[in-house]
Amino acid sequence: MRVLVTGMGGELGTRVTNLLEADDAVTDILGMDLFPPRRRIFRSEFHRVEPGDRRKAVHLVRDFDPEVVLHVGIFEPHSRTSPTEARLGTAASAVSVLGAAASCPSLQAIVVRSGIEVYGRRRGAPTRPDETIEPAPTSPFGRSLAHVEQVAAEAGQVAGVPVTAVRLGPIVGPSIPSPLGRYLRLPAVAVDPLSELPFSLLHQEDACQAMVAAASVGHDGPLNVVGAGAVTATQAVLMGRRIPVPVMGPGWRLAAAAAELLGAPLPPHSQELLTRGCTADGALARTVLGIEPRTTHEVVAQLYRWDEVDHELGAAAGAHA
Amino acid sequence: MSLDAVRRGIPGATLAVQLGRRARGTYAVDEWGLDPDLVAIADPVLGLRWELAVEGADRLPTVGGAVLVFNRRFGVSEPWVLARGIRRATGRFVRTVGVPDLAPVGPLLRRFGGVLDRPDEIAGLLRAGQLVGLPMSRDVRSRERVGGLDVARLEAAIETDRPVVPVAMVGRELGRSWRIVVGSPVPYDAEGGPLAAAELAEATRSEVQALLDESLPTSWWF
Repeated sequence: MRVLVTGMGGELGTRVTNLLEADDAVTDILGMDLFPPRRRIFRSEFHRVEPGDRRKAVHLVRDFDPEVVLHVGIFEPHSRTSPTEARLGTAASAVSVLGAAASCPSLQAIVVRSGIEVYGRRRGAPTRPDETIEPAPTSPFGRSLAHVEQVAAEAGQVAGVPVTAVRLGPIVGPSIPSPLGRYLRLPAVAVDPLSELPFSLLHQEDACQAMVAAASVGHDGPLNVVGAGAVTATQAVLMGRRIPVPVMGPGWRLAAAAAELLGAPLPPHSQELLTRGCTADGALARTVLGIEPRTTHEVVAQLYRWDEVDHELGAAAGAHA
Repeated sequence: MSLDAVRRGIPGATLAVQLGRRARGTYAVDEWGLDPDLVAIADPVLGLRWELAVEGADRLPTVGGAVLVFNRRFGVSEPWVLARGIRRATGRFVRTVGVPDLAPVGPLLRRFGGVLDRPDEIAGLLRAGQLVGLPMSRDVRSRERVGGLDVARLEAAIETDRPVVPVAMVGRELGRSWRIVVGSPVPYDAEGGPLAAAELAEATRSEVQALLDESLPTSWWF
């Protein structure tokens, strides 16, 4: 099976690639991204492609003629790029890669990374939407994800192949560059105890497992992938032994500015999560993909637990000496 | 003897454990916002306000979702009374429909089990195995008549194939004593169809009215 992985340079993309490399059924892997892979890749071919370089992306995709496209190349605002770069990069990457893939004769399935932010959190919106709820995003990131899903659906329709939109819960973990993770790890964290609603999280490893499982299943439609359970912002902050600082209304502007000064800018979708909550019903994905993501409580605990760094290369060099 | 047994014997020990969990953030909140620890902390206060008697609680499923359709007059006490009564009788939480999605009232009521009034919200709760309290419309003129029942809100029960249980709430808004009478599940056509929800709503309304007629004391003066 030939698999095209976009966003291979990101934390998720690199890990997805490593999982695919361990699968003997996957014969060839081609990756592309703005950044080089964050870990060693063993038998994949990587190309550095600017999101706006449509000509190069189209050329690579058509030459490779993938059987499965894993579109992980989503830029979260303030993750590694600015909000504007993230929005433009996400849209450009989706159009060029998925558009080119639609004309590939061997294409059998498209899997795109999306997020539960597509459901939006407007007043009266369902608290724990399942896949039957129509997306109605209320944040720029949610709109970006909805656009990617739309492009993927059009590409799938043209190619006549199933399209799986894997709507991942907010991803945090000890090493992934996540604006929410950075914010929650500040020593003092602004929360709104009077209006906050619970949110669910997803561990980075479970997100990768879900993407890889979706590539082999070929489900046609969206799937919500979230950790079971939920926490409120105040609860998460207390679990991390940080200081919760109560704010409300306009106080959030000040809190967001202070967080940005401290190196943890808070994008609108993360602020929305902290005040309006963000959960989804992940039962269908657990059945279809056969996965059991870590619970939200476990994800929060791991976020605050600084695991020891295992310097494999250094250890190997020492043993050799 | 277990540590829990020792704690139960010490006045205030359970409360201390619950408050400790709150300070560490290790308490549980579900996706809809229910906070069981907070409910347990507030329970003694609610106990001072209402004295409850529950009849027919064995008719409720021990596991899995169900819709509890109940009458209300002014509708302030009934959701609290139903939730506390069923919790004490069965150990299960009731998620009462009709919380406004407006801070700070909405988030606070959600901590005690309130949920939004949306058919897809009700369906999600039923799929997750929750007991959903569905209030009928208010009838402030008489406590002897039950209000109307929105057909669309019962479609979730048919869609998820969960039982619909009529419940009569007997008591006065400013009074202390309340009776909660749980009836038998109302049979319905699980195949669905345009008429199924309408007929189920009508049958459920009749069942609640019948329970209320049987349960109301004859000496009441209004």
